[in-house]
Amino acid sequence: MSRRASPRVAGYAALTAIGLVAALALRRPELAVVVAPFALVLAVGLRNARDPMVEVELTLDSDRVLEGSEVDAEITVRAATGVDRLELLLDLPPGMEVADGDDAAALRLHGDEERPISLRLRPVRWGLYDVGEVEVRARDVLRLVVWERRFRDSTRLKAYPREEAVRRILAPVETQAFTGSEVARTKGDGIEYADIRDYVPGDRLRSINWRASARKDDLVVNERHPERNTDVVLFVDSFADVRRGDRSTLDDAVRAAATLATRYLDRRDRVGLVAFGGILRWLQPGMGVTQRFRLIETVLETGVEPTYTWRDVNRIPPRILPTKALVLALTPLVDPRYVAALEDLRARGFDLVVVEVDPVGLVEPGRDETEALAYRLWLLERDVLRSRLQGLGIAVARWGEDVSLEEALEGVRTYRRYARLARV
Amino acid sequence: MRAVLVALLVLVAALVLEWAPLLPASLALLAGVYAAQLYVDDATLDGAAPLFAAGLFVTAEFGYWSLEERERVEAAPGEGLRRLAIVAVLGLVALVVAASLLALADIVRTRGLAVDVLGAAAAAAALSAIVVLAGRRV
Repeated sequence: MSRRASPRVAGYAALTAIGLVAALALRRPELAVVVAPFALVLAVGLRNARDPMVEVELTLDSDRVLEGSEVDAEITVRAATGVDRLELLLDLPPGMEVADGDDAAALRLHGDEERPISLRLRPVRWGLYDVGEVEVRARDVLRLVVWERRFRDSTRLKAYPREEAVRRILAPVETQAFTGSEVARTKGDGIEYADIRDYVPGDRLRSINWRASARKDDLVVNERHPERNTDVVLFVDSFADVRRGDRSTLDDAVRAAATLATRYLDRRDRVGLVAFGGILRWLQPGMGVTQRFRLIETVLETGVEPTYTWRDVNRIPPRILPTKALVLALTPLVDPRYVAALEDLRARGFDLVVVEVDPVGLVEPGRDETEALAYRLWLLERDVLRSRLQGLGIAVARWGEDVSLEEALEGVRTYRRYARLARV
Repeated sequence: MRAVLVALLVLVAALVLEWAPLLPASLALLAGVYAAQLYVDDATLDGAAPLFAAGLFVTAEFGYWSLEERERVEAAPGEGLRRLAIVAVLGLVALVVAASLLALADIVRTRGLAVDVLGAAAAAAALSAIVVLAGRRV
């Protein structure tokens, strides 16, 4: 621990020096007597001051928690020698707060004593948090010496994003080869009735439609749609984040991504992730519980890394964006590089849906006339951009304060019912 | 009397402004008033010196304690009373030490250049010891 003298030492030393010099100069021993207690306290206190050898350990009840919920934490303090006053300050990263207890505490420790301090922490936002930084300050009984140390434990807490309420999710236009929950457009073995056709040798007897066969006077078999899985790629815009108060477009996009990933994985679909921004992060499509945790942990690392370089979809490895995959873009539509990437994806024939995390409510219209005019122009530009994307056959759903994610997705479903994917 | 008022004002300023260097300055002013009084009176040894010493020391302790309490970390339960007891004991010790030294000075009433040099050397040694102890890394 680093050692430093408290302000007392300088003050008492100055008084002692002044008193002794004055006593000699004025030939008055009383002045030496007056400062003698200060000199004595300094001599005894500094002679006996010893490093208390404090050790601090922070443990968390769980290393994973849902954002907004609480986690138990315990700070264990040990000192080799007695400490008259030990001050502890838990330095929490932005986004973490103390739900119960105090992040600053003062206590007295005897030699070789161990003391636990319990508190509850709450991450107010999803993310990865390093919560192990504890600042310790120890003082001796005469308050002359201060020992300080900053303990940096690598205690990492993963705060998972809370899920949005979504009952129905979007079905991709095309399905993949594996068994899943989505009724394929193709015909094959399945449950959903598709059509009837004439019997051909090799057809199973159980597929014969006896009623239709009786009417036609020839054998007719039922055809069915198979249940297949789909590939979904969540394409998160991490170029820009529009933030105001507690709300942020990136936070909402990540929450939506986590929600949609969970829903699709529950249906045995393969889900991949691309965080497209200053730093390109991706996760190859996969399925199952492991993929869910991989996805959420990748999405937790998503943040806005400022960059002025142009990025396009050529940087994304081809295996991350499989053909026939539904690409679900989550974006505030404020960065032209991301918009260009959307247009590029559409041009390549991907089944693309844009969920616009509406930033309009987070931007102030401006006070003076010029600012208000600029704001109106910006709104108009956004309308133009939306129309342009829709003109390219991209379904755009606006998700904001007044529209839930469920409603936004319902709007896309309606749009896709009438719009058809065309490959030229 | 004015000097005492100025010293008190400086003490209050040190506490209000939370500026620790002003605290010993106010105490030095008080001690200066006392020294001036001793110099003007030119009497024999002042019997009230131990009381003044203890008072000055306790004032300094309370002043620094007050400044320490402004920090963010709140005191543990019972720490205030314990600290008060420690300051009281230190005040008593200061009184006893000062009285003993005054008694010693009263017994050894020797004057001369040799005594002055010895006194200067003792003062220098005391200050050096404080500096060495303050800079120690243990």
